[in-house]
Amino acid sequence: MLGYIIRRLWQMIPTLFGVMLLVFVVFNWVGGDPSYILAGKRLSPDALAAIRAQLGLDQSLPAQFWLFVKQVAHLDFGLSWSLQQPVTRILAERIGPSLTLTGTLLVVELCAALPIAVLVAYYRAKLIDRVVTIVCTVAMSVSSLVYIIVGQYVLAYQADWFPVQGWYDDSLLHSWLVFVPLPLILGLAVSLAPDVRFYRSFVVEELQQDYVRTARAKGLSERVVLFKHVLRNALIPVVTTVASSLPFLVLGSMLLERFFGIPGMGNELLAAVDKSDFPIIKAITITIAVATMVFNLLADVLYKWIDPRVELK
Amino acid sequence: MTDREILLSVRDLKVGFRLEDGGRFEALKGINFDIPRNRTVALVGESGSGKSVTSMAIMRLLPEFGCEIDAASEILFEGKNLLKATTGEIRSLRGRDITMIFQEPMTSLNPVFTVGDQIAETLIVHAGLGRAAAAARAVELLREVGLPEPEKRARAYPHQLSGGQQQRVMIAIAVACEPKLLIADEPTTALDVTIQKQILELLANLQKKHGMSVLFITHDLGVVGEFADEVIVMRHGVIREQGSSRQVFEAPQDAYTRALMACRPALAHRPERLAVIDDFLQPEPYVPPPDRARGYAPEDRTVLDVQDLCVNFDIREGLFRKRKFEAVKNVSFKLAKGRTLGIVGESGSGKTTVGLTLMRLRQAASGKALFDGKDILAMNPREFKDYKRRIQIIFQNPYASLNPRFTVGSILTEPLRLHGIGSNQAEREKIVRELLDRVGLPSRAMGKYAHEFSGGQRQRIAIARCLTLKPEILICDESVSALDVSVQAQVLNLLQDLQDEFKLSYLFISHDLAVVKHISDQVMVMNKGEVVEQADSDQIYRAPACDYTRRLLGSIPRGWTPAADAA
Amino acid sequence: MPTSNVASSAATEPASRSLWSLGWQRLKRDRVGYVSLWVVVFFMVLGAAVWSGLLARGWDQEVGNPNTAPMWAAQEKLQHTGTSDGMEGATGPIIRLTPAEDPIADMLAAAEHNKSKYQTMEAPKTDALILGSDQRGRSVFEKVLQGTGTSMLVGIFGALLSVALGTVLGAFAGYFGGKTDDFLMWFYSVFTSVPDMLLLLAFAAVAGRGFTTLILVLSFTSWTGVFRLVRAEYMKQRSREYVQAADAIGASHLSRMFVHILPNISHLLLVQFSLLLVGLIKYEVILSFLGFGVGVKQVSWGSILGEVPTELMQGYWWQLLGVVIMMSTLVTAVSMLTDALRDALDPKVK
Repeated sequence: MLGYIIRRLWQMIPTLFGVMLLVFVVFNWVGGDPSYILAGKRLSPDALAAIRAQLGLDQSLPAQFWLFVKQVAHLDFGLSWSLQQPVTRILAERIGPSLTLTGTLLVVELCAALPIAVLVAYYRAKLIDRVVTIVCTVAMSVSSLVYIIVGQYVLAYQADWFPVQGWYDDSLLHSWLVFVPLPLILGLAVSLAPDVRFYRSFVVEELQQDYVRTARAKGLSERVVLFKHVLRNALIPVVTTVASSLPFLVLGSMLLERFFGIPGMGNELLAAVDKSDFPIIKAITITIAVATMVFNLLADVLYKWIDPRVELK
Repeated sequence: MTDREILLSVRDLKVGFRLEDGGRFEALKGINFDIPRNRTVALVGESGSGKSVTSMAIMRLLPEFGCEIDAASEILFEGKNLLKATTGEIRSLRGRDITMIFQEPMTSLNPVFTVGDQIAETLIVHAGLGRAAAAARAVELLREVGLPEPEKRARAYPHQLSGGQQQRVMIAIAVACEPKLLIADEPTTALDVTIQKQILELLANLQKKHGMSVLFITHDLGVVGEFADEVIVMRHGVIREQGSSRQVFEAPQDAYTRALMACRPALAHRPERLAVIDDFLQPEPYVPPPDRARGYAPEDRTVLDVQDLCVNFDIREGLFRKRKFEAVKNVSFKLAKGRTLGIVGESGSGKTTVGLTLMRLRQAASGKALFDGKDILAMNPREFKDYKRRIQIIFQNPYASLNPRFTVGSILTEPLRLHGIGSNQAEREKIVRELLDRVGLPSRAMGKYAHEFSGGQRQRIAIARCLTLKPEILICDESVSALDVSVQAQVLNLLQDLQDEFKLSYLFISHDLAVVKHISDQVMVMNKGEVVEQADSDQIYRAPACDYTRRLLGSIPRGWTPAADAA
Repeated sequence: MPTSNVASSAATEPASRSLWSLGWQRLKRDRVGYVSLWVVVFFMVLGAAVWSGLLARGWDQEVGNPNTAPMWAAQEKLQHTGTSDGMEGATGPIIRLTPAEDPIADMLAAAEHNKSKYQTMEAPKTDALILGSDQRGRSVFEKVLQGTGTSMLVGIFGALLSVALGTVLGAFAGYFGGKTDDFLMWFYSVFTSVPDMLLLLAFAAVAGRGFTTLILVLSFTSWTGVFRLVRAEYMKQRSREYVQAADAIGASHLSRMFVHILPNISHLLLVQFSLLLVGLIKYEVILSFLGFGVGVKQVSWGSILGEVPTELMQGYWWQLLGVVIMMSTLVTAVSMLTDALRDALDPKVK
């Protein structure tokens, strides 16, 4: 097991290298010369040259890339162009609020979607199943933006049940109690339907396997067949799906954060894209990529744990 | 046979399936039969006969949707109509009084529970045992079904066991609660012949020991002769014949039963042509043709001379490590013009790899394959192209070997086009029509797609595709194994006719010893990648020289022998 | 004898059917799927009509009074026309200066003189618009139609490009395996290490706005799903017997990849296409909403939704309604069609 984990970590190096290359190509090559953005109104040849020298843009592309690799290795992404603060510090401050919202969302959603999915699969092809399936399809067809816009307007502006937006910078717990509930509800509204459908399809898929026939031939009740034999197998894809959605925890829910003024990673990313603040975008991209790789590894280890057939190689 | 007390009787069972285009398919057209206590009843039929539907109907495992059982049908188990029983009643019968084992043991066991747990589950539900007692009894049952180290195996997951062991676990689950009726639906079809013999013996022993009834469902009459007390023959949802084994095997009344027995190649003799069903449906009685002599002759010209062929597979272990697996080790043989070399072996023997390697569909590690004196394994792809058309292959699965998106016409003209045979499309189509006629298909087949044909017809199309290139060597890789026995006989006859007409050389690869004996001049027995014995086919079957061959031959079901009944 | 035999049986036998036409038969039997198909076709025609300029050409003409309610919601229309022009209703005397006191009197006079020239250019404004008007008086109905055109364009071409990219790369990776596969898998793992939305924003940050960049950006981020599927299929299919048989009769690698195997996974590609169509339409809406999508002079459902939060607070709900109706109709239809296609084209079901 340990050997496997070490090997997988070792395999991450080429992928991480690829991500850095991608980010470098996008921002340093496609993105053009950022010194114009930085110089702003003080556009003079001297100022431009100074900025270029500061960013290392006067060097060759390979040299610039090497500079970037060194930055990543030292976890030092330089200063934000718009805020003139160290990028690492900005991001460290943003992770907390993001996790507060997305962590809660993940847990609540899993607890809601999985039972519904199993229940629906249990009554498959009966009325309740068909109704839920249609409701899910229609619910999924409405843009997530609409849920958020209308939800915020109706529940916060009109009904005044929740604060419209805001965040306490000093206390996450306090913010969690006051500002998280409405985004949480809307986040659920957006993601519940697709998840129920997704998990249901896993359960239905398993119901068609031969071992289900064996379990019935043993004289087990339909409840035992479903909740013991089928669910245990259907959990395998569920766990991997959840594990692969974990990077979203760190990235935060961009739209919810923007609408509700939550100072998380997603909000920061949107602001950075707005202001062409490349160091922040680069740093977030690298961070999330590393998180994704680590969570994928975690997913595979979990997979081994719940599925005896999987051999870790 | 005096104490024939009825355990289960099926009365006028009619089952239909609604098809999605609104039509209806009558799977069972009103069948009647009885299963007496403490007897083994064999239900024999080819695909589409309705034999599996019958077993599912007894277990009440037919799908809820799209399946209709006639209201007047009855399945009486100890006098109780199962078709009218409540779900609760059925549930308490299933797994306790009526149990079932299936064809595919791998998929029939739940992959995420240990086999011990899966056996114990039945005991907990039906016998009311506690967890610990059930676990202990599970180990006992595993010992009873002959699994080595039962304590250790009980903690294993299904995928850690071999196919035969998995089927033993299924049997352990089935006999756990001392059932009155065990339904075995093709329990040995997916297994090797030596394993099949063990499983059949186990079932026969358990039947005697527990005094239960067994409903044994199979497509192979040969399998049931040894141990069945009564035989039921089904075709197209109708029972053609039923009676005691003696009666059915010694004096079959029905033409179909007689045909079924005659069209299966036998070890005892080798007719010029195998009988087919049609032979028996004619008004005049069937006269068996004379036997054909087989074997290599000294004046035979060798077309393919394989010397010390080795094939290895790399099995990836971890990131950098690879393990070498020797699939074929030092195989040598000569194939003569107009003759057939049979290769027999169980799964994992490397027999298929030999065929694929000669087609260069696998990479040989070392060795030579001299085709007319030239080593085809050492050629570069361009040089090989000319030889490629001279050596062709027919695969096992007629459903997978024809491209489902192509019409038969384009499947057959493609090789002609690729090799520049025929100057234009019209000329090629003419060649194709002649070939279709030769393999016994109408020329209107050209515009159709593969899925519109039956398995046997598809195999004819595959044969026609090979013939387009006028090959000298034809590799038949389990080419008749997936076919029903009656269809198998037709295709074997066709292959024989083509060999006689075109002087083709066959490399006939199969796990079925009787088929190989029928068609081969020389036979090569393979085990674990190595050739264990090679000789003329009559020689090898009469006097096998090596232990493994003897064991293989000993595993062939002997079928009905009058002596078996007396003893 | 053979000729008559063939002729008579040809007359009685049903026509031969390919897997595609069998799938079509099944789709026609699936009522929900069949209706969805026609809805999707309708939207495609709509999109084409918008793009060829047959429909909604004048979406940016200010044909109505600002923020007019839809004509069928007449009550609200009255309310809003009463309050929306707040300046005119202002009470109190307006103090006027005499021309002599006023320093810009001359200019005003000139402007007054010129006013008539411009006024004639303007068409009379109307309050009778089917879906009302936005804050600049543009017809919401035409705007939403134009937005439909944008969504269809971006969705269809983005999905086509993604499927093409994913299929070609996946085919090479899955068919050849080995070093080719290692390299393409590395490429794939790089792209999947970054979440879609983040990648989209990163591209959007450097690429500017407009349809072409939008389509390119969307397909560069969305090919990975198709790649994974196609690669797995090719790995499975390349060892299938019909492909080996094609090898045996001498078909080349490219022929085996694209003539033999590709048609056998084409139904999966169609399903992927319609899944991507929905996915990309949703992404486009979010990107345009955030201001990273279509250009300022173009309109899409997303950019319309961008105007909605402020409008809602003033009580103008019709833009939202228009977008929601169109978008959910299209997306529901495509989703249901996808489900129906999946069932109908599955070659296992016979």
